[in-house]
Amino acid sequence: MSSVNNVVLSVKNVSKAFKEIKAVDDLSFDVHAGEIFGFLGPNGAGKSTTIRLMLGLIRPDAGDVEIFDKAVTQHRNGSLHGVGALIEDAAFYKNISARKNLEILARLAGGSGRRIDEVLDIVDLLPRAESKVKTYSHGMKQRLGIAQALLHEPKLLILDEPTTGLDPHGMKEVRELIVQLAEEGITIFLSSHLLNEVEQTCTAMAILNKGRLVTTGNVKKLLADTEIFQTEIKARPVEKARVVLEHLDSVSQLTVEEDVIKIAVAAVNLSKVTKALVESGIEVDSVVPRTSLEDYFLSLTGDQDS
Amino acid sequence: MKLMISLIKNELIKISSKWRSFIGFIAIAVLMPLVMWGFSVGGSEIHDDMTRQLEGSFIIVGSVFNGFLATYFVMNFLWVHIPFLVTLVAGDVVAGEGAAGTFRIYLTRPVSRMKIMLSKLLATYLYTLALVGFFALMSLGLGTIWLGTGDLVVFDDGILILSAELAWPRFTIAFILATVALCTVASLCFMFSAMVNNGIGPVIGSMAIVIIGLAIATIPLDLFENLSPYLFTDYIDIWNLAFRDPIPWDEIGKSLLILGLYATAFSGIGFAVFLRKDIRT
Repeated sequence: MSSVNNVVLSVKNVSKAFKEIKAVDDLSFDVHAGEIFGFLGPNGAGKSTTIRLMLGLIRPDAGDVEIFDKAVTQHRNGSLHGVGALIEDAAFYKNISARKNLEILARLAGGSGRRIDEVLDIVDLLPRAESKVKTYSHGMKQRLGIAQALLHEPKLLILDEPTTGLDPHGMKEVRELIVQLAEEGITIFLSSHLLNEVEQTCTAMAILNKGRLVTTGNVKKLLADTEIFQTEIKARPVEKARVVLEHLDSVSQLTVEEDVIKIAVAAVNLSKVTKALVESGIEVDSVVPRTSLEDYFLSLTGDQDS
Repeated sequence: MKLMISLIKNELIKISSKWRSFIGFIAIAVLMPLVMWGFSVGGSEIHDDMTRQLEGSFIIVGSVFNGFLATYFVMNFLWVHIPFLVTLVAGDVVAGEGAAGTFRIYLTRPVSRMKIMLSKLLATYLYTLALVGFFALMSLGLGTIWLGTGDLVVFDDGILILSAELAWPRFTIAFILATVALCTVASLCFMFSAMVNNGIGPVIGSMAIVIIGLAIATIPLDLFENLSPYLFTDYIDIWNLAFRDPIPWDEIGKSLLILGLYATAFSGIGFAVFLRKDIRT
Protein backbone atom coordinates (compact mmCIF):
# COMPACT_ATOMS: atom_id res chain seq x y z
CA MET A 1 0.00 0.00 0.00
CA SER A 2 2.61 2.54 0.92
CA SER A 3 5.51 3.71 -1.12
CA VAL A 4 8.83 5.30 -0.36
CA ASN A 5 8.72 7.00 3.06
CA ASN A 6 5.26 5.54 3.63
CA VAL A 7 3.57 8.27 1.61
CA VAL A 8 -0.04 7.25 1.08
CA LEU A 9 -1.28 10.54 -0.34
CA SER A 10 0.82 12.88 -2.41
CA VAL A 11 -0.43 16.13 -3.86
CA LYS A 12 1.97 17.13 -6.63
CA ASN A 13 1.99 20.65 -8.04
CA VAL A 14 -1.76 20.69 -8.38
CA SER A 15 -3.50 23.74 -9.80
CA LYS A 16 -7.16 24.32 -10.48
CA ALA A 17 -8.97 27.45 -11.61
CA PHE A 18 -12.66 28.11 -12.03
CA LYS A 19 -12.86 30.68 -14.80
CA GLU A 20 -10.46 33.41 -13.67
CA ILE A 21 -10.43 32.39 -10.03
CA LYS A 22 -7.49 30.23 -9.06
CA ALA A 23 -8.82 27.94 -6.35
CA VAL A 24 -5.66 25.86 -5.95
CA ASP A 25 -2.26 27.11 -7.06
CA ASP A 26 0.71 24.78 -7.46
CA LEU A 27 -0.09 22.87 -4.30
CA SER A 28 2.17 20.10 -3.06
CA PHE A 29 2.32 18.11 0.16
CA ASP A 30 2.55 14.51 1.34
CA VAL A 31 0.56 12.54 3.87
CA HIS A 32 2.33 9.60 5.47
CA ALA A 33 0.90 6.32 6.70
CA GLY A 34 -0.45 6.46 10.21
CA GLU A 35 -0.70 10.23 10.38
CA ILE A 36 -3.68 12.27 11.39
CA PHE A 37 -3.07 15.02 8.90
CA GLY A 38 -4.79 18.34 9.53
CA PHE A 39 -5.67 20.50 6.55
CA LEU A 40 -6.20 24.06 7.65
CA GLY A 41 -7.13 27.22 5.88
CA PRO A 42 -9.47 30.18 6.01
CA ASN A 43 -12.80 30.04 4.22
CA GLY A 44 -12.23 29.99 0.48
CA ALA A 45 -8.62 28.87 0.84
CA GLY A 46 -9.22 25.93 -1.49
CA LYS A 47 -9.52 23.09 1.02
CA SER A 48 -12.69 21.53 -0.40
CA THR A 49 -11.44 21.97 -3.97
CA THR A 50 -8.24 20.15 -3.00
CA ILE A 51 -10.23 17.29 -1.49
CA ARG A 52 -12.43 17.02 -4.58
CA LEU A 53 -9.26 16.90 -6.67
CA MET A 54 -7.96 14.08 -4.47
CA LEU A 55 -11.13 12.07 -5.00
CA GLY A 56 -11.42 12.65 -8.74
CA LEU A 57 -14.59 14.70 -8.45
CA ILE A 58 -12.89 17.53 -10.29
CA ARG A 59 -9.97 17.41 -12.68
CA PRO A 60 -6.80 19.42 -12.08
CA ASP A 61 -5.60 21.93 -14.66
CA ALA A 62 -2.04 20.93 -13.80
CA GLY A 63 -0.30 18.43 -11.54
CA ASP A 64 -1.86 15.32 -10.06
CA VAL A 65 -2.73 13.57 -6.84
CA GLU A 66 -1.32 10.16 -6.07
CA ILE A 67 -3.04 7.86 -3.64
CA PHE A 68 -1.28 4.62 -2.80
CA ASP A 69 1.17 5.38 -5.62
CA LYS A 70 -1.56 5.67 -8.24
CA ALA A 71 -2.36 8.91 -10.04
CA VAL A 72 -6.01 9.79 -9.52
CA THR A 73 -6.43 11.25 -13.02
CA GLN A 74 -4.99 8.15 -14.69
CA HIS A 75 -6.07 5.36 -12.36
CA ARG A 76 -9.01 6.80 -10.49
CA ASN A 77 -10.62 3.50 -9.58
CA GLY A 78 -7.37 1.87 -8.50
CA SER A 79 -6.32 4.84 -6.43
CA LEU A 80 -9.67 5.11 -4.65
CA HIS A 81 -9.65 1.51 -3.48
CA GLY A 82 -9.00 1.73 0.23
CA VAL A 83 -10.18 5.33 0.52
CA GLY A 84 -13.18 6.44 2.53
CA ALA A 85 -14.37 10.01 2.29
CA LEU A 86 -16.81 12.45 3.75
CA ILE A 87 -17.01 15.76 1.92
CA GLU A 88 -18.68 18.71 3.62
CA ASP A 89 -22.25 18.01 4.70
CA ALA A 90 -23.15 14.38 4.30
CA ALA A 91 -25.72 14.10 1.49
CA PHE A 92 -27.81 10.94 1.24
CA TYR A 93 -30.87 9.63 -0.56
CA LYS A 94 -33.28 11.08 1.95
CA ASN A 95 -36.36 9.04 1.10
CA ILE A 96 -34.78 5.73 1.98
CA SER A 97 -33.39 4.35 5.21
CA ALA A 98 -29.83 4.65 6.45
CA ARG A 99 -29.38 0.92 5.93
CA LYS A 100 -30.60 1.10 2.31
CA ASN A 101 -28.30 4.06 1.70
CA LEU A 102 -25.36 2.03 2.91
CA GLU A 103 -26.50 -0.98 0.88
CA ILE A 104 -26.44 1.22 -2.23
CA LEU A 105 -22.90 2.29 -1.45
CA ALA A 106 -21.84 -1.26 -0.59
CA ARG A 107 -23.07 -2.46 -3.98
CA LEU A 108 -20.86 0.15 -5.68
CA ALA A 109 -17.83 -1.82 -4.62
CA GLY A 110 -19.51 -5.12 -5.35
CA GLY A 111 -19.77 -5.69 -1.60
CA SER A 112 -22.46 -7.48 0.30
CA GLY A 113 -22.82 -4.87 2.98
CA ARG A 114 -21.68 -7.22 5.71
CA ARG A 115 -20.15 -4.28 7.58
CA ILE A 116 -23.28 -2.15 7.60
CA ASP A 117 -24.33 -3.07 11.12
CA GLU A 118 -20.76 -2.69 12.33
CA VAL A 119 -20.27 0.84 10.97
CA LEU A 120 -23.73 1.94 12.08
CA ASP A 121 -22.87 0.70 15.53
CA ILE A 122 -19.58 2.62 15.50
CA VAL A 123 -21.45 5.89 14.93
CA ASP A 124 -24.27 4.88 17.27
CA LEU A 125 -26.98 4.81 14.60
CA LEU A 126 -27.84 1.13 14.65
CA PRO A 127 -31.13 1.71 16.50
CA ARG A 128 -32.20 4.13 13.77
CA ALA A 129 -30.93 2.06 10.84
CA GLU A 130 -34.39 1.55 9.35
CA SER A 131 -35.47 5.19 9.62
CA LYS A 132 -35.57 7.29 6.50
CA VAL A 133 -32.64 9.68 6.31
CA LYS A 134 -35.00 12.63 5.92
CA THR A 135 -36.00 12.10 9.56
CA TYR A 136 -32.37 12.44 10.71
CA SER A 137 -30.93 15.52 12.39
CA HIS A 138 -27.91 17.20 10.87
CA GLY A 139 -25.65 15.57 13.43
CA MET A 140 -27.06 12.13 12.65
CA LYS A 141 -26.45 12.67 8.95
CA GLN A 142 -22.85 13.62 9.69
CA ARG A 143 -22.43 10.45 11.72
CA LEU A 144 -23.98 8.44 8.89
CA GLY A 145 -21.50 10.17 6.60
CA ILE A 146 -18.66 8.86 8.73
CA ALA A 147 -20.28 5.41 8.72
CA GLN A 148 -20.36 5.32 4.91
CA ALA A 149 -16.74 6.45 4.80
CA LEU A 150 -15.81 3.50 7.01
CA LEU A 151 -17.94 1.00 5.07
CA HIS A 152 -15.22 -0.28 2.77
CA GLU A 153 -12.55 -0.69 5.48
CA PRO A 154 -10.48 2.25 4.26
CA LYS A 155 -6.77 2.58 4.78
CA LEU A 156 -7.04 6.30 4.13
CA LEU A 157 -9.93 8.31 5.49
CA ILE A 158 -10.53 11.76 4.04
CA LEU A 159 -12.78 13.87 6.21
CA ASP A 160 -13.87 17.36 5.24
CA GLU A 161 -15.21 19.29 8.23
CA PRO A 162 -16.64 16.15 9.87
CA THR A 163 -17.75 17.92 13.04
CA THR A 164 -19.70 20.65 11.29
CA GLY A 165 -23.12 20.99 12.84
CA LEU A 166 -22.41 18.66 15.72
CA ASP A 167 -23.02 19.66 19.32
CA PRO A 168 -20.00 19.75 21.65
CA HIS A 169 -20.67 16.20 22.81
CA GLY A 170 -20.90 14.99 19.22
CA MET A 171 -17.73 16.85 18.26
CA LYS A 172 -15.87 15.23 21.11
CA GLU A 173 -17.12 11.79 20.08
CA VAL A 174 -16.04 12.29 16.48
CA ARG A 175 -12.58 13.48 17.54
CA GLU A 176 -12.21 10.49 19.80
CA LEU A 177 -13.33 8.25 16.96
CA ILE A 178 -10.73 9.81 14.65
CA VAL A 179 -7.98 9.15 17.16
CA GLN A 180 -9.25 5.61 17.70
CA LEU A 181 -9.30 4.92 13.95
CA ALA A 182 -5.77 6.26 13.63
CA GLU A 183 -4.69 3.92 16.41
CA GLU A 184 -6.18 1.06 14.39
CA GLY A 185 -3.84 1.99 11.55
CA ILE A 186 -6.05 4.16 9.36
CA THR A 187 -4.37 7.25 7.97
CA ILE A 188 -6.62 10.24 8.48
CA PHE A 189 -6.76 13.38 6.35
CA LEU A 190 -8.79 15.91 8.31
CA SER A 191 -9.82 19.20 6.76
CA SER A 192 -11.09 21.59 9.36
CA HIS A 193 -11.55 25.25 10.05
CA LEU A 194 -11.55 24.48 13.78
CA LEU A 195 -8.02 25.19 14.85
CA ASN A 196 -8.34 23.55 18.22
CA GLU A 197 -9.66 20.43 16.52
CA VAL A 198 -6.49 20.13 14.48
CA GLU A 199 -4.33 21.07 17.46
CA GLN A 200 -5.94 18.42 19.66
CA THR A 201 -6.22 15.68 17.09
CA CYS A 202 -3.58 15.92 14.39
CA THR A 203 0.02 14.83 14.25
CA ALA A 204 0.87 16.64 11.02
CA MET A 205 -0.72 19.44 9.11
CA ALA A 206 -0.69 21.71 6.10
CA ILE A 207 -1.93 25.27 6.08
CA LEU A 208 -3.48 26.60 2.92
CA ASN A 209 -4.16 30.22 2.07
CA LYS A 210 -5.54 31.60 -1.20
CA GLY A 211 -4.99 28.21 -2.81
CA ARG A 212 -1.31 28.08 -1.96
CA LEU A 213 0.52 26.05 0.63
CA VAL A 214 1.74 28.21 3.49
CA THR A 215 3.46 25.51 5.50
CA THR A 216 3.36 21.81 6.20
CA GLY A 217 4.93 19.54 8.77
CA ASN A 218 4.60 18.02 12.22
CA VAL A 219 2.12 19.99 14.33
CA LYS A 220 4.26 20.09 17.51
CA LYS A 221 7.42 20.94 15.61
CA LEU A 222 5.73 23.72 13.68
CA LEU A 223 4.42 25.23 16.89
CA ALA A 224 7.79 24.86 18.63
CA ASP A 225 9.47 26.71 15.78
CA THR A 226 7.16 29.64 16.07
CA GLU A 227 8.95 32.86 16.79
CA ILE A 228 6.35 34.32 19.06
CA PHE A 229 5.26 32.36 22.12
CA GLN A 230 2.03 32.95 23.91
CA THR A 231 3.35 32.43 27.41
CA GLU A 232 1.58 31.88 30.70
CA ILE A 233 3.43 32.94 33.85
CA LYS A 234 2.53 32.14 37.43
CA ALA A 235 4.41 34.46 39.74
CA ARG A 236 3.97 36.09 43.17
CA PRO A 237 3.01 38.75 43.78
CA VAL A 238 1.04 38.95 40.58
CA GLU A 239 0.65 42.74 40.56
CA LYS A 240 4.38 43.35 41.00
CA ALA A 241 5.16 40.82 38.26
CA ARG A 242 2.69 42.58 35.97
CA VAL A 243 4.43 45.92 36.52
CA VAL A 244 7.86 44.42 35.79
CA LEU A 245 6.62 42.77 32.61
CA GLU A 246 4.88 45.92 31.42
CA HIS A 247 8.22 47.69 31.43
CA LEU A 248 9.94 45.10 29.24
CA ASP A 249 10.09 46.09 25.58
CA SER A 250 10.15 42.47 24.47
CA VAL A 251 6.76 41.75 26.05
CA SER A 252 3.41 42.52 24.44
CA GLN A 253 -0.27 41.55 24.70
CA LEU A 254 -0.10 41.39 28.48
CA THR A 255 -3.25 40.25 30.25
CA VAL A 256 -3.92 38.96 33.74
CA GLU A 257 -6.49 36.29 34.47
CA GLU A 258 -6.77 35.50 38.17
CA ASP A 259 -3.22 34.49 39.14
CA VAL A 260 -1.99 33.82 35.60
CA ILE A 261 -0.22 36.45 33.54
CA LYS A 262 -0.38 35.92 29.77
CA ILE A 263 2.14 37.58 27.50
CA ALA A 264 3.43 37.38 23.96
CA VAL A 265 7.19 37.16 23.80
CA ALA A 266 9.76 36.18 21.20
CA ALA A 267 11.37 32.82 21.85
CA VAL A 268 14.82 34.35 22.10
CA ASN A 269 13.66 36.74 24.83
CA LEU A 270 11.93 34.22 27.03
CA SER A 271 14.94 33.67 29.27
CA LYS A 272 15.39 37.44 29.68
CA VAL A 273 11.82 37.76 30.87
CA THR A 274 12.33 35.08 33.49
CA LYS A 275 15.59 36.68 34.61
CA ALA A 276 13.95 40.10 34.95
CA LEU A 277 11.22 38.70 37.17
CA VAL A 278 13.66 36.85 39.41
CA GLU A 279 15.99 39.86 39.70
CA SER A 280 12.99 41.94 40.80
CA GLY A 281 12.47 39.62 43.75
CA ILE A 282 9.43 37.93 42.30
CA GLU A 283 8.83 34.26 42.99
CA VAL A 284 8.30 32.56 39.65
CA ASP A 285 6.24 29.38 40.01
CA SER A 286 6.01 28.55 36.32
CA VAL A 287 6.70 29.91 32.84
CA VAL A 288 4.78 27.93 30.23
CA PRO A 289 5.06 28.80 26.54
CA ARG A 290 1.70 28.05 24.98
CA THR A 291 1.76 28.91 21.34
CA SER A 292 -1.70 28.14 20.14
CA LEU A 293 -2.35 26.99 16.65
CA GLU A 294 -4.70 29.91 16.27
CA ASP A 295 -1.90 32.39 16.87
CA TYR A 296 0.33 30.46 14.55
CA PHE A 297 -2.36 30.23 11.91
CA LEU A 298 -3.13 33.93 12.07
CA SER A 299 0.52 34.84 11.89
CA LEU A 300 0.86 32.78 8.70
CA THR A 301 -2.35 33.75 6.97
CA GLY A 302 -2.14 37.43 7.82
CA ASP A 303 -5.03 37.55 10.29
CA GLN A 304 -7.52 36.65 7.60
CA ASP A 305 -10.92 35.32 8.32
CA SER A 306 -10.30 32.03 10.06
CA MET B 1 -21.88 -7.70 -15.56
CA LYS B 2 -22.62 -8.39 -11.90
CA LEU B 3 -21.49 -4.87 -11.01
CA MET B 4 -23.67 -3.37 -13.75
CA ILE B 5 -26.71 -5.25 -12.44
CA SER B 6 -25.91 -3.92 -8.96
CA LEU B 7 -25.58 -0.39 -10.29
CA ILE B 8 -28.88 -0.63 -12.18
CA LYS B 9 -30.51 -1.96 -9.02
CA ASN B 10 -29.15 1.09 -7.18
CA GLU B 11 -30.63 3.40 -9.77
CA LEU B 12 -34.01 1.68 -9.69
CA ILE B 13 -34.08 2.00 -5.89
CA LYS B 14 -33.29 5.70 -6.19
CA ILE B 15 -35.95 6.20 -8.88
CA SER B 16 -38.55 4.34 -6.86
CA SER B 17 -37.77 6.37 -3.75
CA LYS B 18 -38.96 9.57 -5.39
CA TRP B 19 -42.54 10.72 -5.53
CA ARG B 20 -42.16 12.12 -9.05
CA SER B 21 -41.46 8.63 -10.36
CA PHE B 22 -45.01 7.59 -9.55
CA ILE B 23 -46.75 10.60 -11.05
CA GLY B 24 -46.89 8.89 -14.44
CA PHE B 25 -48.27 5.66 -13.04
CA ILE B 26 -50.83 7.49 -10.92
CA ALA B 27 -51.88 9.65 -13.87
CA ILE B 28 -52.36 6.61 -16.07
CA ALA B 29 -54.10 4.68 -13.29
CA VAL B 30 -56.56 7.53 -12.80
CA LEU B 31 -56.94 8.60 -16.42
CA MET B 32 -57.46 5.25 -18.11
CA PRO B 33 -60.48 4.08 -16.10
CA LEU B 34 -61.91 7.55 -16.61
CA VAL B 35 -61.36 7.40 -20.37
CA MET B 36 -62.76 3.86 -20.58
CA TRP B 37 -65.78 4.90 -18.58
CA GLY B 38 -66.22 7.83 -20.95
CA PHE B 39 -66.04 5.48 -23.93
CA SER B 40 -68.50 3.08 -22.37
CA VAL B 41 -70.97 5.93 -21.79
CA GLY B 42 -70.42 7.86 -25.01
CA GLY B 43 -69.19 5.05 -27.19
CA SER B 44 -72.42 4.91 -29.16
CA GLU B 45 -71.67 8.36 -30.62
CA ILE B 46 -68.32 7.15 -31.91
CA HIS B 47 -69.93 3.96 -33.17
CA ASP B 48 -72.60 5.92 -35.09
CA ASP B 49 -69.99 8.25 -36.49
CA MET B 50 -67.85 5.38 -37.72
CA THR B 51 -70.66 3.31 -39.16
CA ARG B 52 -71.84 6.37 -41.12
CA GLN B 53 -68.41 6.48 -42.75
CA LEU B 54 -68.31 2.75 -43.37
CA GLU B 55 -71.89 1.96 -44.41
CA GLY B 56 -71.30 2.79 -48.08
CA SER B 57 -68.63 0.13 -48.40
CA PHE B 58 -69.23 -2.35 -45.60
CA ILE B 59 -72.02 -4.16 -43.93
CA ILE B 60 -71.59 -3.56 -40.24
CA VAL B 61 -72.69 -6.36 -37.98
CA GLY B 62 -72.54 -5.61 -34.28
CA SER B 63 -70.43 -2.82 -32.84
CA VAL B 64 -67.05 -1.65 -34.11
CA PHE B 65 -66.57 0.12 -30.84
CA ASN B 66 -64.61 -2.07 -28.44
CA GLY B 67 -61.53 -2.16 -26.19
CA PHE B 68 -59.17 -2.27 -29.16
CA LEU B 69 -60.57 0.85 -30.71
CA ALA B 70 -60.58 2.65 -27.36
CA THR B 71 -56.92 1.70 -26.88
CA TYR B 72 -56.10 2.87 -30.39
CA PHE B 73 -57.64 6.24 -29.53
CA VAL B 74 -55.84 6.66 -26.21
CA MET B 75 -52.53 5.76 -27.79
CA ASN B 76 -52.55 9.32 -29.07
CA PHE B 77 -51.39 10.21 -25.55
CA LEU B 78 -48.05 8.86 -26.76
CA TRP B 79 -47.44 12.03 -28.76
CA VAL B 80 -46.83 14.45 -25.90
CA HIS B 81 -48.38 13.34 -22.63
CA ILE B 82 -46.48 10.11 -22.03
CA PRO B 83 -43.17 11.64 -23.20
CA PHE B 84 -43.70 14.32 -20.56
CA LEU B 85 -44.21 11.68 -17.88
CA VAL B 86 -41.01 9.93 -18.99
CA THR B 87 -38.97 13.14 -18.83
CA LEU B 88 -40.00 13.68 -15.21
CA VAL B 89 -37.71 10.81 -14.28
CA ALA B 90 -35.14 11.08 -17.07
CA GLY B 91 -34.53 14.72 -16.24
CA ASP B 92 -33.87 13.98 -12.63
CA VAL B 93 -31.75 10.86 -12.92
CA VAL B 94 -28.42 12.70 -13.17
CA ALA B 95 -29.27 16.31 -12.37
CA GLY B 96 -31.18 15.30 -9.25
CA GLU B 97 -28.05 13.83 -7.72
CA GLY B 98 -26.14 16.97 -8.57
CA ALA B 99 -28.79 19.08 -6.89
CA ALA B 100 -28.95 16.88 -3.79
CA GLY B 101 -25.17 16.68 -3.50
CA THR B 102 -25.24 12.88 -3.37
CA PHE B 103 -22.56 12.64 -6.08
CA ARG B 104 -20.15 13.80 -3.37
CA ILE B 105 -20.47 10.36 -1.88
CA TYR B 106 -21.56 8.21 -4.82
CA LEU B 107 -18.72 9.25 -7.12
CA THR B 108 -15.98 8.84 -4.55
CA ARG B 109 -16.24 5.07 -4.81
CA PRO B 110 -13.93 3.22 -7.20
CA VAL B 111 -16.46 2.80 -9.97
CA SER B 112 -16.02 4.57 -13.30
CA ARG B 113 -18.34 7.39 -14.19
CA MET B 114 -18.98 5.63 -17.49
CA LYS B 115 -20.50 2.63 -15.69
CA ILE B 116 -22.52 4.87 -13.39
CA MET B 117 -23.89 6.82 -16.34
CA LEU B 118 -24.66 3.64 -18.25
CA SER B 119 -26.55 2.25 -15.25
CA LYS B 120 -28.53 5.48 -15.01
CA LEU B 121 -29.40 5.40 -18.70
CA LEU B 122 -30.44 1.74 -18.61
CA ALA B 123 -32.51 2.33 -15.47
CA THR B 124 -34.22 5.22 -17.25
CA TYR B 125 -35.00 2.94 -20.19
CA LEU B 126 -36.36 0.30 -17.79
CA TYR B 127 -38.55 2.93 -16.19
CA THR B 128 -39.78 3.95 -19.66
CA LEU B 129 -40.51 0.33 -20.47
CA ALA B 130 -42.39 -0.08 -17.20
CA LEU B 131 -44.43 3.05 -17.85
CA VAL B 132 -45.36 1.94 -21.38
CA GLY B 133 -46.12 -1.54 -20.03
CA PHE B 134 -48.43 -0.04 -17.43
CA PHE B 135 -50.01 2.16 -20.08
CA ALA B 136 -50.62 -0.92 -22.21
CA LEU B 137 -52.04 -2.82 -19.27
CA MET B 138 -54.38 -0.03 -18.29
CA SER B 139 -55.50 0.78 -21.82
CA LEU B 140 -55.55 -2.53 -23.66
CA GLY B 141 -56.09 -4.69 -20.58
CA LEU B 142 -58.75 -2.57 -18.96
CA GLY B 143 -60.27 -1.62 -22.33
CA THR B 144 -60.80 -5.18 -23.52
CA ILE B 145 -62.18 -6.23 -20.13
CA TRP B 146 -64.51 -3.26 -19.91
CA LEU B 147 -65.53 -2.77 -23.55
CA GLY B 148 -64.85 -6.22 -24.94
CA THR B 149 -62.94 -7.27 -28.03
CA GLY B 150 -63.81 -7.43 -31.72
CA ASP B 151 -62.52 -6.18 -35.03
CA LEU B 152 -60.29 -3.15 -34.93
CA VAL B 153 -61.15 -0.48 -37.47
CA VAL B 154 -58.27 1.84 -38.21
CA PHE B 155 -58.49 4.94 -40.39
CA ASP B 156 -55.03 5.68 -41.69
CA ASP B 157 -54.41 6.11 -45.42
CA GLY B 158 -57.64 4.23 -45.97
CA ILE B 159 -59.56 1.83 -43.82
CA LEU B 160 -57.97 -1.21 -42.24
CA ILE B 161 -60.03 -3.77 -40.44
CA LEU B 162 -58.08 -6.15 -38.24
CA SER B 163 -59.64 -9.18 -36.63
CA ALA B 164 -59.30 -9.59 -32.88
CA GLU B 165 -56.66 -12.28 -33.41
CA LEU B 166 -54.57 -9.87 -35.47
CA ALA B 167 -55.18 -6.89 -33.21
CA TRP B 168 -53.29 -8.39 -30.27
CA PRO B 169 -49.93 -8.78 -32.07
CA ARG B 170 -50.39 -5.38 -33.76
CA PHE B 171 -50.81 -3.71 -30.37
CA THR B 172 -47.79 -5.61 -29.05
CA ILE B 173 -45.68 -4.30 -31.93
CA ALA B 174 -47.14 -0.80 -31.47
CA PHE B 175 -46.22 -0.66 -27.79
CA ILE B 176 -42.71 -1.96 -28.48
CA LEU B 177 -42.23 0.74 -31.12
CA ALA B 178 -43.67 3.35 -28.76
CA THR B 179 -41.14 2.28 -26.14
CA VAL B 180 -38.28 2.90 -28.58
CA ALA B 181 -39.64 6.36 -29.44
CA LEU B 182 -40.03 7.21 -25.76
CA CYS B 183 -36.52 5.95 -24.99
CA THR B 184 -35.25 8.46 -27.56
CA VAL B 185 -37.10 11.24 -25.74
CA ALA B 186 -35.67 9.88 -22.48
CA SER B 187 -32.16 10.01 -24.01
CA LEU B 188 -32.68 13.63 -24.98
CA CYS B 189 -33.74 14.48 -21.44
CA PHE B 190 -30.89 12.39 -20.03
CA MET B 191 -28.44 14.47 -22.08
CA PHE B 192 -29.78 17.70 -20.60
CA SER B 193 -29.81 16.09 -17.16
CA ALA B 194 -26.06 15.42 -17.43
CA MET B 195 -25.43 19.08 -18.17
CA VAL B 196 -27.20 20.77 -15.26
CA ASN B 197 -27.82 20.39 -11.56
CA ASN B 198 -31.59 20.72 -11.37
CA GLY B 199 -34.22 18.28 -12.48
CA ILE B 200 -36.70 20.76 -13.94
CA GLY B 201 -34.58 22.34 -16.68
CA PRO B 202 -34.10 19.08 -18.61
CA VAL B 203 -37.86 18.39 -18.54
CA ILE B 204 -38.66 21.84 -19.92
CA GLY B 205 -35.85 21.67 -22.47
CA SER B 206 -36.84 18.24 -23.74
CA MET B 207 -40.53 18.99 -23.98
CA ALA B 208 -39.81 22.25 -25.75
CA ILE B 209 -37.81 20.36 -28.37
CA VAL B 210 -40.50 17.67 -28.75
CA ILE B 211 -43.27 20.25 -29.12
CA ILE B 212 -41.26 22.40 -31.54
CA GLY B 213 -40.35 19.31 -33.58
CA LEU B 214 -43.98 18.20 -33.75
CA ALA B 215 -45.08 21.72 -34.65
CA ILE B 216 -42.56 21.91 -37.49
CA ALA B 217 -44.02 18.72 -38.93
CA THR B 218 -47.48 20.25 -39.10
CA ILE B 219 -46.51 23.53 -40.77
CA PRO B 220 -47.06 23.21 -44.55
CA LEU B 221 -43.95 25.02 -45.69
CA ASP B 222 -41.39 23.45 -48.01
CA LEU B 223 -38.56 24.37 -45.66
CA PHE B 224 -40.15 22.56 -42.72
CA GLU B 225 -41.36 19.66 -44.83
CA ASN B 226 -37.81 19.12 -46.07
CA LEU B 227 -36.42 19.45 -42.58
CA SER B 228 -38.95 17.23 -40.87
CA PRO B 229 -37.58 13.79 -41.95
CA TYR B 230 -34.28 14.63 -40.25
CA LEU B 231 -35.91 15.33 -36.91
CA PHE B 232 -36.49 12.51 -34.46
CA THR B 233 -39.88 13.97 -33.62
CA ASP B 234 -41.03 12.93 -37.07
CA TYR B 235 -40.76 9.31 -35.91
CA ILE B 236 -42.33 9.70 -32.49
CA ASP B 237 -45.55 8.20 -33.93
CA ILE B 238 -43.69 5.13 -35.18
CA TRP B 239 -46.26 2.99 -33.32
CA ASN B 240 -48.83 3.95 -35.94
CA LEU B 241 -46.93 1.85 -38.49
CA ALA B 242 -48.01 -1.30 -36.63
CA PHE B 243 -51.57 -0.66 -37.79
CA ARG B 244 -50.88 -0.63 -41.52
CA ASP B 245 -51.40 -3.57 -43.81
CA PRO B 246 -49.04 -5.03 -44.62
CA ILE B 247 -46.78 -3.84 -41.81
CA PRO B 248 -44.16 -1.62 -43.49
CA TRP B 249 -41.11 -3.26 -41.99
CA ASP B 250 -38.73 -1.28 -44.21
CA GLU B 251 -40.17 1.97 -42.97
CA ILE B 252 -40.16 0.70 -39.41
CA GLY B 253 -36.52 -0.32 -39.78
CA LYS B 254 -35.56 3.09 -41.15
CA SER B 255 -37.49 4.86 -38.39
CA LEU B 256 -35.89 2.68 -35.72
CA LEU B 257 -32.46 3.40 -37.18
CA ILE B 258 -33.03 7.15 -37.05
CA LEU B 259 -34.45 6.98 -33.53
CA GLY B 260 -31.53 4.77 -32.50
CA LEU B 261 -29.02 7.20 -33.97
CA TYR B 262 -30.63 10.10 -32.16
CA ALA B 263 -30.79 8.16 -28.88
CA THR B 264 -27.12 7.19 -29.24
CA ALA B 265 -26.11 10.74 -30.07
CA PHE B 266 -28.08 12.24 -27.17
CA SER B 267 -26.75 9.66 -24.72
CA GLY B 268 -23.21 10.00 -26.10
CA ILE B 269 -23.25 13.76 -25.59
CA GLY B 270 -24.60 13.25 -22.06
CA PHE B 271 -21.82 10.76 -21.31
CA ALA B 272 -19.11 13.02 -22.76
CA VAL B 273 -20.31 16.00 -20.75
CA PHE B 274 -20.60 14.07 -17.52
CA LEU B 275 -17.25 12.29 -17.81
CA ARG B 276 -15.51 15.66 -17.83
CA LYS B 277 -17.85 17.42 -15.47
CA ASP B 278 -16.47 18.89 -12.26
CA ILE B 279 -18.62 17.82 -9.34
CA ARG B 280 -18.84 20.97 -7.25
CA THR B 281 -22.21 20.53 -5.56
